[in-house]
Amino acid sequence: MKTLNLTVNGQAVSAAVEPRTHLADFLREHEGLTGTHLGCEHGVCGACTVEIDGAPARSCIQFAVRCEGATVRTIEGFEDDAVMRQLRAAFSAEHALQCGYCTPGMLVTARDIVMRLPHLTGAHDEARIRVELAGNLCRCTGYQGIVRAIQRVLRQRAGIDAA
Amino acid sequence: MNQSDVKHIAGSAAPQGVGASVERKEDRRLMSGRGQFVGDLRLAGMWDVAFVRSPVAHGVLKGVEKPAGQEAAVFTMDDMPGVRPIRAVSGLPGFKPSEQWPLARGKVRQVGELVAACIAPTRALAEDIAQAVYADIEELPAVVDMVGARTAPPALVHDEWGDNIFLESLVDGDLSSIADAPIKVRRHIRTARQCMSPLEGRGVVCQWDSRLEQLTMWSSAQMVHINRQGLSECLGLDSGQIRVIAPDVGGGFGYKGILLPEEIVLAYLCMKLGRPLRWIEDRREQLIANANCREHDYDITVYANRDGRLLGIDCEATVDSGAYSSYPFSACLEAAQVGSILPGPYKMERYRCKTWSVASNKAPILPYRGVARTGVCFALELMVDAIAREAGMEPIDVRLANVVRPEEMPYDNITKKHFDSGDYPRVLRMARDAVGLREVRARQKAGEADGRRIGVGFAVYCEQAAHGTSVYFGWGIPMVPGHEQCRARLNADGVLELSIGAHSHGQGMETTMAQVAHQILGIDVARVRLSHGDTGQSPYSTGTWGSRSMVMSGGAVAAACKEMARRVKQIAAKMAGCDTGALKLAGGMVFEGDVPRMSLAEIAHVWHRAPQLLPADIDPAGLEVIAGYKAARDTGTFSYACHAVVVAVDTELGAVEILDYAIAEDGGTLVNPMVVDGQIIGGTAQGIGTALYEEMPFDENGQPLASTLADYMLPGAPEVPAIRIDHIETPSPYTEFGQKGIGEGGAIAPPAAIANAINDALRDMGVEVTESPVTPRRLLAAIAAARKGVAA
Repeated sequence: MKTLNLTVNGQAVSAAVEPRTHLADFLREHEGLTGTHLGCEHGVCGACTVEIDGAPARSCIQFAVRCEGATVRTIEGFEDDAVMRQLRAAFSAEHALQCGYCTPGMLVTARDIVMRLPHLTGAHDEARIRVELAGNLCRCTGYQGIVRAIQRVLRQRAGIDAA
Repeated sequence: MNQSDVKHIAGSAAPQGVGASVERKEDRRLMSGRGQFVGDLRLAGMWDVAFVRSPVAHGVLKGVEKPAGQEAAVFTMDDMPGVRPIRAVSGLPGFKPSEQWPLARGKVRQVGELVAACIAPTRALAEDIAQAVYADIEELPAVVDMVGARTAPPALVHDEWGDNIFLESLVDGDLSSIADAPIKVRRHIRTARQCMSPLEGRGVVCQWDSRLEQLTMWSSAQMVHINRQGLSECLGLDSGQIRVIAPDVGGGFGYKGILLPEEIVLAYLCMKLGRPLRWIEDRREQLIANANCREHDYDITVYANRDGRLLGIDCEATVDSGAYSSYPFSACLEAAQVGSILPGPYKMERYRCKTWSVASNKAPILPYRGVARTGVCFALELMVDAIAREAGMEPIDVRLANVVRPEEMPYDNITKKHFDSGDYPRVLRMARDAVGLREVRARQKAGEADGRRIGVGFAVYCEQAAHGTSVYFGWGIPMVPGHEQCRARLNADGVLELSIGAHSHGQGMETTMAQVAHQILGIDVARVRLSHGDTGQSPYSTGTWGSRSMVMSGGAVAAACKEMARRVKQIAAKMAGCDTGALKLAGGMVFEGDVPRMSLAEIAHVWHRAPQLLPADIDPAGLEVIAGYKAARDTGTFSYACHAVVVAVDTELGAVEILDYAIAEDGGTLVNPMVVDGQIIGGTAQGIGTALYEEMPFDENGQPLASTLADYMLPGAPEVPAIRIDHIETPSPYTEFGQKGIGEGGAIAPPAAIANAINDALRDMGVEVTESPVTPRRLLAAIAAARKGVAA
């Protein structure tokens, strides 16, 4: 067991963890944050995507003990986030989720796209948005609603469409 | 409440009933990380289970050595006395049943077969124990190739059978009169074995309640009542001792519509140890041990006139059913259906089809979205294009010449399938025009600047859905759907609680069933709560499969709400001193003529909390209803669609890019068009995976060769194009609102449409692909074969 200190959703956390425990298991089993989902546990499907120090990361291929001192934000940590509020409204309006299993990871990635690439507001930017989404698999929606929801928020935030 | 308030309520809301694209009620919790999937459940004292699985495909299990000091944490079949094997027997003549022991006994018959269960406080510790268990297995030759399995078997999967054939079936016909048809085309067509891959795998949590003497099992499942029935049979418990609950389920697609050996093992150990247990399938288990589907082989000949008119089909089809007959759909689910659905939407005079459900040393074949239809559509629609090439016709015109015409509806086809309604030629023309066939032909002539070749492909299918008793009883499998039921209760505060035995795992039923309730009762969808997939709460149901829920559960919800409306009006009429005939329900209110008299909540309040106001002759059944539903004719609804796709093929790299994808579809009356489009697009994305990417290869020893999502390729956002959908709505004459089942259709046509487009692009090179998925390796092999002048 090793002692781990980090910040999770704004709260300081200190815990004893096995070195082999990955961050997603730590969040789910130790912290009860079950919004972070496991789809493959080998870094392909993106369901476990969380923010580590402000950037999206796959928590299933990150050892928890490597996150000493890090700031981690999971889907449960975005309740007061204005961009996430816009994304959630857009995801619902565009039917961007069905079973909802990929959705927490998808929303964290979507928020990163919106914040990092605010200029992708044109119809021709769809291909780039799809490439940006390549690390998050969805088996239900065929991605169309997800892409449209992200486009909707990008255009709202750029003042092109009404929010 | 005065009248202007009522108008505000009734008039301001957006439409909520049948036909409205209502945003989903279930979205909020799922977007906030508050969904509750089986892996999210936490029970006090719960331990994890890790399984020891067979590393070989076929062998004699001579013994299991438990690690020293850990004997109490490891369990084999010998430790589960009294537990019976899974037997999914079909009543079709000649069917040979298999016995699948929850933990292997005697032989192992597939890689990944359960050999032992290991328990520990965490999964990691349980896996440590599992790794130290030694399974002594004497390997036998593996049965891997399905045609060889029946013609020259290298071994017997089930020794007592004498061969490797679960079932041989024949739809017989005399083709002698068309033997000299002007066009006669024969092909060998194959579809690869696939792994249906919902993003959440399976999972089971169970707990024994010693007060109720009841096992509660939470399982990521589509058909909880069937799971309960199977558990009862295998464990020897009475059905009341088992409650199965499906919590939030992260996608099903057929994968979660079976009784699991893992469920039986966990249930037994949970009862034996008195401790809650959990097993959460990981991706490796899903890929190598559990999720096999779709592997078909066709030797097919079609006969046609020079004008493209189809005269007949002669086919021998083999389906690799894997090692065991899975519960409840059995091992002949796919092959036996192939014989009856191969004619597709086409008319013909002659037909013969022989099929084999073959046993092999692979995971049992399970239902996957489109069940049998995806392979059948691939085989048939490739042949239609082959006829078009022989006849020198546009492929879409051959289809137009052969589909059932609207004036012939309802139509009984050559295998006695009863097409309920529709205008098939119209969707063909719509799809043709959506991709601009003439423009594509002009573009092909002009050639591409980058040297790639453009092709256009079509595929049409019909999707029999929500088929019931008359279709299923003849199969004699452990499940025959009858009436579907709904329980409805109007609470004292006017909230309507609905309960159905089907389960929603992405289909949005918490919303769409509320829309049905709104349609009948006028109640706001926000005031409707749906409980689904819980044997302890709901009436019996065979569950969610076969694109049936909106027809069957939707029909049951409508039936329950109609009865509720009758009882509400009875109370209201007594209260208002008027006749029930003068009352109608809208906007959550009871109206007498145009005058709002009281709200549903006020009436419910009287029943529950002020019964002194009720007259003596009130219906004592009150505001709690169980009502059942069956379609006016239960042979199924027939939704149908034409998919049209334009591709660019790089003949050097073997790469295929989808440039345009359009669908013209008739799902009858659409209850929630947004949800319907979501089902179609999502199904199509899965079909694109089937067409181009997804394949589970096996080596000659029966070892599955893809064990991660890095080598089992699922399409991501860049691989799936924007898909355009046009609808027509021909109501089914047999269902409550005219709705037809559409949940699987999207996944049926893409492999056929895409392969046809590729063959169109490479036509003048003499290339014809006949095997899915069309990976770069296969495509380059077909191109090389064409260059050498031999068939692929």
